[in-house]
Amino acid sequence: MKTLFQTKLAAPLLALLLIAASAAATRAQDSRLQLSSLDHLAAKASQSVDVNIDERLMRLASRVFSDQDVEEREIKKLVAGIKGIYVRSFEFENEGQYTAADMETIRTQLRGPGWTRLVNVMSKKEGNLEVYLLMNGETVGGLAVLSTDVRELTVVNIVGPVDLEKLAKLEGQFGIPELDIEPAKPKTKNEQ
Amino acid sequence: MNDDYLWNKSGEPDPQIQQLEEILGTLRYQPKPLKLPEELSTSRSRRNHFPWLAIAATVVMALLAGGLWLQTRNYDASIPAVAIAQPADPIIGPPLSASTDAPKRIKPRVTNYDRREALAAKQQLMFALRLASEKLNSAYRRTQDKRSSHENTLPN
Repeated sequence: MKTLFQTKLAAPLLALLLIAASAAATRAQDSRLQLSSLDHLAAKASQSVDVNIDERLMRLASRVFSDQDVEEREIKKLVAGIKGIYVRSFEFENEGQYTAADMETIRTQLRGPGWTRLVNVMSKKEGNLEVYLLMNGETVGGLAVLSTDVRELTVVNIVGPVDLEKLAKLEGQFGIPELDIEPAKPKTKNEQ
Repeated sequence: MNDDYLWNKSGEPDPQIQQLEEILGTLRYQPKPLKLPEELSTSRSRRNHFPWLAIAATVVMALLAGGLWLQTRNYDASIPAVAIAQPADPIIGPPLSASTDAPKRIKPRVTNYDRREALAAKQQLMFALRLASEKLNSAYRRTQDKRSSHENTLPN
């Protein structure tokens, strides 16, 4: 004779366990965006950048930062706790090489629970720029930056806690070379 | 008829009973060691080995796990030391760390490949951080620009 557990409670409990397990798995990788949907743009791009630094590479890279050097020590502190950094950046010769649907696959993921759009700047001249944060309570659990221009598309995804203030100060410091990725701005009258 | 013979073998025996005793006497209990069939004894010996095999397998697994753990630990600890032990790599460039107590911790297992991978990861990391920083600053700057231009357009 079957018990009450076997007849009535087993299936719901099993379902609950499965839901809890999948929720835990989702939480563990929640700030990681799936960027593979953009990979097909590399064939059209005149220049593409693909950076995939997972947790193992983060640990490996952080070990070769010197503790003696003040600047490198600061960067080491900044990246401590970050579980991964992923970048997809494409520059195109012509306009219209990517579609709104390409960006929508990324934005769909950023509409998930926890993500908040911090900044959304839209400009026909300079392109659009969106900054998203994944909040785990009071702390930042992840960052995503979407930058689009008529001839440029860039997505940056940082997985794990990151100090935005320190990250913003990084530009032009610590001997990090200029990338010259931003499109050239039109000259003003004074410059001409 | 006297039944004493049946009870304690006293008295006059009955010939038929005697004959029965002689016939059945060949089947009486004969003490001898128990002999098990061949198949039974073989399977029994297999069953006896099973716990030992299980224990041996557990020990081997534990040793393997311990070995892997130690290898991972040594690998983790050895990367900076190797960077000092091989400072004159023409491809990579100057040594990375200036720790002075490193020579004792040099692990020959870690190759130049590991060091190159670490340096490549560092370069990629710097690039990604630089890009993220640039985008953040751009977002901040453009937000400020829009705010100030909005304030300028407001009537006094």
